[in-house]
Amino acid sequence: MTSILSGDETVLRYSATGPPELSEVAADAGVTVAAVGPSGAPAIEPLVSVTQGGQTTFHTRCSADELRELTAGLDDGLPTDLADAVVDHDPSATSLPVPDLAGLDAGTRRVTGGWGWRRPTDPDDHEAAGGFVTATAEETERAGESLRGRGWGDWCQDEPLADTWETARHTDGEATVVVNAHGTTADALLLASSPFDVLEGACATARTVDADRVVVYVSEADEDAAASVREAADAYPDLPVAADVVTGPSVYRAAEPTMAIEAVEGNHRLEARLRPPGPAEVGIDGRPTVVHTARTLAQLAHTLRQDGPTTRLVTVTGDVADPVTVELTEGDSLASAVDATTVEGSLKAACVGGRFGGLTASLDVTADPASLIDAGLGTEGVVEVLSESRCVVEFVGRRAQFAADENCGRCVPCREGTTQLAELLRDLYDGRYDRDGIEELDRVMRTSSICTFGVDAGRPARTAMAAFESEFEAHADGRCPAGACTAEVTP
Amino acid sequence: MSSDHTHETDAPPLTETIAPGTASDPSVSGTERATITVDGTDVTVESGSTLLDAVEAADTDDTVPALCHYDREDEIGPRSECRTCMVETDANGVVPACSHPAEDGATVRTAADPAAEARDVNLDLVLSDHNLRCTTCGKNGRCELQDAAIEQDVDEPRYGVLDDRDAYEPLDDTSSFIQIDRNKCILCNRCVEACNDVQVEGVLRVEGSGQDTRIGFQSDVETMEDSACVSCGHCATVCPTGSLVEKGIEDATTIPLPGFTQKNSVGKSHERHGKSKGPMTPKKRVDSPATEDSPADDPDDADGGEWP
Repeated sequence: MTSILSGDETVLRYSATGPPELSEVAADAGVTVAAVGPSGAPAIEPLVSVTQGGQTTFHTRCSADELRELTAGLDDGLPTDLADAVVDHDPSATSLPVPDLAGLDAGTRRVTGGWGWRRPTDPDDHEAAGGFVTATAEETERAGESLRGRGWGDWCQDEPLADTWETARHTDGEATVVVNAHGTTADALLLASSPFDVLEGACATARTVDADRVVVYVSEADEDAAASVREAADAYPDLPVAADVVTGPSVYRAAEPTMAIEAVEGNHRLEARLRPPGPAEVGIDGRPTVVHTARTLAQLAHTLRQDGPTTRLVTVTGDVADPVTVELTEGDSLASAVDATTVEGSLKAACVGGRFGGLTASLDVTADPASLIDAGLGTEGVVEVLSESRCVVEFVGRRAQFAADENCGRCVPCREGTTQLAELLRDLYDGRYDRDGIEELDRVMRTSSICTFGVDAGRPARTAMAAFESEFEAHADGRCPAGACTAEVTP
Repeated sequence: MSSDHTHETDAPPLTETIAPGTASDPSVSGTERATITVDGTDVTVESGSTLLDAVEAADTDDTVPALCHYDREDEIGPRSECRTCMVETDANGVVPACSHPAEDGATVRTAADPAAEARDVNLDLVLSDHNLRCTTCGKNGRCELQDAAIEQDVDEPRYGVLDDRDAYEPLDDTSSFIQIDRNKCILCNRCVEACNDVQVEGVLRVEGSGQDTRIGFQSDVETMEDSACVSCGHCATVCPTGSLVEKGIEDATTIPLPGFTQKNSVGKSHERHGKSKGPMTPKKRVDSPATEDSPADDPDDADGGEWP
């Protein structure tokens, strides 16, 4: 099969993850049909588009009946009268021609360019989009000197990749590359919609660290992502290394890099490993191992293919009409990501940087890691919106309780610290606000926990006390400014 | 020669089926002989050492409890879970001394504020989840947690102590040889490593997560009696607190007031069901099970052979 990305015939694209009837109706349409991956905007899925030459119509939340109606009229030309958006574009566009649809029209589309447009596991589509470029180890090395790891599942989170690669390369034994796509929406989307980008980055890394094996690690809840990357690995032309797909338990902690390694090795109970030495020296089965997220590796593949702005994937969730995953350049503000969806009510605060992100009242922060860290926020690529009706104290209390329930149980600062943090926050409801005590505990969790889970677990409370102190004091006085907490509420 | 093994077997290694539930930690000791500056004093340690070895060799400004550390057997630890051994280094900031390799030229300060604070807070966090009824504990006076708390002048642990009888786990009083009080367990992991790595018995494991993390049995049973324990006692030997105590001395240091014993301190316990008995290794015997008619505590009548 040749690429669908050029030629004059009519191409009907539909969401591969949509209902099965959609593919049955599409198959009967008598035109070229392409099952594409998720677009990043679930609110408008299933998304169907019809392309003829340089024009595409988009049909959001398309049912089988609607699809039947629009395919019936295809002989008469593009169904523009039935479309939610129409876009004129280069006839051989390899990236989604961005329609004026909520969720798709924000930010930029570089790493996400193929989402909703290219067939995820079709090598011809990937090649037509400039993929499968083989970079030398030296070129990859150079890219790794400035490219920083993305997400808490990346061993090089916010750090350039090259130093870790060098360690792995200079350690005895064949190395392994772990693609960590566990638990984070953007990583699972990359595997579902553009797995070749991720595998391409993994292969380039494998060449650089002399690895003979790539392991893609996915949450067992992300079945679509696992199936897609498995199929892509089988279809990858002349795959230079062995590639396995391994699933791990669907719990938050399982994304931590050393717990990912434990899961790949088959341990039935996941706990963090001591460090140093890190996985680059002693990883899977004692061999040197580099652990990168799918986001990091897709970014690497695009960096090796062409120059362009470094981007960040940001998932907006929380009190919004619909969650959405968008791509920002590092100079874009987080507010522009939130603009891709609709806040329910008005925005009071946002938890930036994942479950244990930082709380802020202002989204006037750029998406680059240095700015986020300066602002006390996390770099995980998730903005969780809290509307006016939400209580910040209750929110951070629940996060502390989540940390107490979900930690691996290994080290005292994390296992017992998160429990005591939840207790100190619960004390607010009994009129006791021990700010110094909370800060002291957070400091110790940060300096002495074994892994990032414990290091970050206190961040919601720490940043909320800095940005919303009056709310903490009000609770200690027996009052919830948001009116959300009742006497029964236990954070 | 009798010591020559002339034929090899293809039996699996004894450790193959052991699943202690803990992470496969890398080796955390230094590879070279190293000279370390500890609180201004230079000390030299052999290869295979950690910063704690250097700290112990020096006359340090502050006490470094290293509560979960066990220095009497190579096969046990460092687990580095209690984090009461944090020290400040020039190169890496605050690190756990027990599991940080001793690298030549490193500088360590025990009294630096962030390290001292971390040790204090972490010791109090350990105490926060501990049944502090020392007066009914068989390890009173020979307890490493008690020693550390006294040495660190812990008057009143900042997070309190576990004293909610509803939250207490029942004592496991079912074994004839070892009593388990998980309410005193600090999850140092010594017993699990003694059982799996030293004795290679594969009985104990770490299970659960968060506050539910506990020492359990690899055979998925609830009590010591039902486990495959061979009653070697190594777990009780290495336990730093009163969590695993040899039967018969569980009240050895109880304050002699009427009515106060280790067993009634918690109020709930698992008791022997007496269905199997006899020699110390009931689950290892080929000729089990014992009959219910057998008197529970009369070894002469037990299946599994005569006592000498």
